[in-house]
Amino acid sequence: MSKPNDLVQGTLDLLLLKILALEPLHGWAISLRLKSISGDVLQVSEGSLYPALHKLEQEGWITAEWKQTENNRRAKFYSLTRVGKKQLESEAANWQRLSSAISQVIGLEEA
Amino acid sequence: MRPEHWLYTIPLRLRSLFRRSNVEQELSEELQFHLEHKIEEGIARGLSPKEARYAALRAMGGLEQRKEEIRDMRHVRWLTDFFDDARFAIRSLRRTPGLTVFVAITLALGIGMTSATFSMVDGLIFRPYPVPHPGNVVSLVSTTHDDPYDSFSYREYLDIRDKTNSYAGVVASAAMEAVGFSAEPGTTPRIKGGTMVSGNYFQVLGVEPRLGRGFREDEDQVPGRNPVVVLGPDFWRHEFASDESVLGKTILLNGTKFTVIGVAPDSFPGMSTFGHPDFYMPLAMALVFTTNLQKNFFEDRDDRELGVKARLKPGATLEQARNELAVLAKNFEREYPSANRGRSAAVYTQFQARTIEDENWKFGVIFLILALAVLLVACTNVAGLLLSRSRARAREIAVRLALGAGRFRLIRLLLTESLILATFGGLAGIAIGYGVVEWFRSKETIVFATELPVAIPFHMDRRVLLACVALSVLSALLCGLAPALQSTRVDLVNALKSADVDVPGRKRLWGRNMLVVAQVSMSLMLLTASFLMARGFQHDLMEGHSFTKDHLLMTSFDPRLIQYNAGQTQQFYKLLAERMRETPGVQSEALTQNVPLGNDDFDSVAFVPEGFQMPPDRANFNSTMDTIDEGYFETMGIPILRGRAFLPSDNAEAPRVAVVNEHFAKHYWPGGDAVGKHIRLDSSAGAPVEIVGVAQTIKTQNMTDPTDFVYVPLAQHPVARMVLMLHTSGDPLQLVQPVKDVVHSLDSNLPMLQTRAYQDFYLNQAVRGPRIAIDLVGSMGLVGLLLAVAGLYGLVAYNVSRRTREIGIRIALGAASSNVLRLVLGKGLVLVGIGMVVGLAMGFALEQLMNSMLFNSGGVDILAYAVVVPTMFLVTALAAYVPARRATKIAPTQALRYE
Repeated sequence: MSKPNDLVQGTLDLLLLKILALEPLHGWAISLRLKSISGDVLQVSEGSLYPALHKLEQEGWITAEWKQTENNRRAKFYSLTRVGKKQLESEAANWQRLSSAISQVIGLEEA
Repeated sequence: MRPEHWLYTIPLRLRSLFRRSNVEQELSEELQFHLEHKIEEGIARGLSPKEARYAALRAMGGLEQRKEEIRDMRHVRWLTDFFDDARFAIRSLRRTPGLTVFVAITLALGIGMTSATFSMVDGLIFRPYPVPHPGNVVSLVSTTHDDPYDSFSYREYLDIRDKTNSYAGVVASAAMEAVGFSAEPGTTPRIKGGTMVSGNYFQVLGVEPRLGRGFREDEDQVPGRNPVVVLGPDFWRHEFASDESVLGKTILLNGTKFTVIGVAPDSFPGMSTFGHPDFYMPLAMALVFTTNLQKNFFEDRDDRELGVKARLKPGATLEQARNELAVLAKNFEREYPSANRGRSAAVYTQFQARTIEDENWKFGVIFLILALAVLLVACTNVAGLLLSRSRARAREIAVRLALGAGRFRLIRLLLTESLILATFGGLAGIAIGYGVVEWFRSKETIVFATELPVAIPFHMDRRVLLACVALSVLSALLCGLAPALQSTRVDLVNALKSADVDVPGRKRLWGRNMLVVAQVSMSLMLLTASFLMARGFQHDLMEGHSFTKDHLLMTSFDPRLIQYNAGQTQQFYKLLAERMRETPGVQSEALTQNVPLGNDDFDSVAFVPEGFQMPPDRANFNSTMDTIDEGYFETMGIPILRGRAFLPSDNAEAPRVAVVNEHFAKHYWPGGDAVGKHIRLDSSAGAPVEIVGVAQTIKTQNMTDPTDFVYVPLAQHPVARMVLMLHTSGDPLQLVQPVKDVVHSLDSNLPMLQTRAYQDFYLNQAVRGPRIAIDLVGSMGLVGLLLAVAGLYGLVAYNVSRRTREIGIRIALGAASSNVLRLVLGKGLVLVGIGMVVGLAMGFALEQLMNSMLFNSGGVDILAYAVVVPTMFLVTALAAYVPARRATKIAPTQALRYE
């Protein structure tokens, strides 16, 4: 399975959940959004985007719906479910804990 | 969180399974949508459409790979793969219909027999009580040296109920086998089976009546005050046509009016394995039903008629309950030495209670072992066949492996095939099992020749079906795994090179040889077991059956049904016997409490033989007994070996006398003469009874060796329910009318019960059951033998076909047909030999088990082996010879042209 090379494992899920918490989007828009908001720092290969989305869908965290886009094309829009919201909250909290712990370790004065 | 989660995931899973093409379609569309945007973006950056397309696909990292990855995310992959495998397997099985059918039938036989016998064992010991939380219902029993399953008296029950702390409730019940029932006053009572229960019975067991209510505790407090009755569900359906207005109605039980207050639910047919009560009465009404005329049910501590069950309190352990009851039993023994000397008490779980109470389950277990052996033989057979088939498929498998199929994935495919075979086998097996069970149930109604219907506890219910499914899966694994493992371990290079790829690796042959050895040994064990079983039953039929059975009419009376007191009952039997002796056509007459080999248990008597050194730890011995009149020994053709039979002068005023059987006499007075000796009843201080005669030993109960037996005269030991036996020179049924006339002249209301020719009764009772068992084990042995023959034949034939070329060359080089025969046959016979040695060892082991469980004959039945072993050898040798013979006929030209 292709893994995002420079993403900490599991953070892709968190990013996707967060992006979808803002508004329902289709896969292409998600990939654009990922690039723009992270300022190209977080490289997510398009190959791993869809398996990740489908996994979140199968877990019940996001749900999909076929809708028309602005240019009148049919696309699969993903949105967060209630369960997904809770999952996002807990994952975000986890991330906060983890990153602050790591910052603390890195911030240690060297002897 | 979980349930809400399923709200989203379950529809998705179902969709992935059942709308697979839609899901795939949407997946393509979604990815296509992405690609198109990507391409547009590329073109916008200045790439040519073609370059943009390549770039887009590259960014995706391969469209098909992504799709596979996404499919894996659906969590139903294993299932869709299974469906694919199944479809493939069915296709390939249809290509060899003959083999498929044979394998399915073989498995069906094994599974069918196993499920049928499992339903017996399940019904006899495993099926839980039909009450909520059956696991914490335990049986409390009184125990003695000789009886691990005795009942309690009413007084003892009250003490147990009030002085124990381990239980949420303690209930008592007593099944009354013959209760005279009439729906309206003035009609002749019909015999039904009722159960007396304590007032808390339904409430403690957690049984909610389907109609009305159960008993209240206060309805079981004052003897005789509350004549209320709860009907059983079937009885209500048949007698009252499910009429709901039955509540409040009055019915007559043994002539006493009872008010119907409720109907038990269908889910509760009763606690006993065999009998389903027609109605329930409070214990306080016992005087209407009690069987023992000499005892007072409510007062006498040795009137033991109650089965006691209890529900453990939450948190109470079996251990605590046992200790508590043991202490209580010790107190009983101290406070009431006359009634409780040498008595203890035990708490049994459901499993223990069922296995101790009734020994029939042992047959079930032996049958189950045999049926499992049949199933194993069937599985080895099927494994052998699949192995041969896998050889033909070696090339296909090699191609798949070469193309990169995982070995595990291939094993799964092959196992799916055997699973499908086993499913067919299992389905057919369920049908066979159903047939066997139904057949058995139909036979059983003949075997239990009683007035009351016997509830046969064998059903094909959910539990048995579940067992069938488990067996099918298990046998699929058993017969599929070895061939699957072996056929996926091929040498790719060789397999792809030639069509005939059987490179005889040692391991491969070893597995196949194992199969033959297993088959032969299992079949030998099966045959031995069925032979031994047949001989055991035969033996049972021969010993102690030398009494008169023909030209006898039997009919029973129970004057309690019409409220006779003890005196009236005595008078009735006296007059009945006198009138019968005067009736033309009657050669002799007898009254007995029970007939030999009947359904009812004989009473037991506690005694101390005079002049016999009692072991220090026991107060008395026990023996089964029968109450008879003066005509019994003559009528039944039982010779008096020493002393005399009973005389009319042995009446209530005369000194008490008894006749014992030879077994008894030899047991207690091995050197001397028992006649003239005394036994004392209950204890060494009890009433003395003189032994006036020794009768020949006869068998009184099925499937047990003859035991100690005491006869006492009716005049000195009044009993309410008696059987009249009449000996005649002609057809015994000709006497029915004269007997009816006599009974009518004595009391027109008294029903005659179980009127039939004793010989018919005896055949049903004592002969047909064992015969059915012999048929059953015989057919199992036969099936086992047939399967082994088929297996061995298949193996040798396979070997011959595998070595056709080699044999052809040998013949071309001048090998004589005897050499070829030896070559092919030799190894088969060696395997048969090994299998037989193993089988003999298993046979011995099973014989020991059977001896310890069933027949107590001990030792080794040489004759059985003398018959079984040569038979087995001949048959298997023949099975190997036929294909071997064919090998000698191989024409070298044809064999060499093979390739």
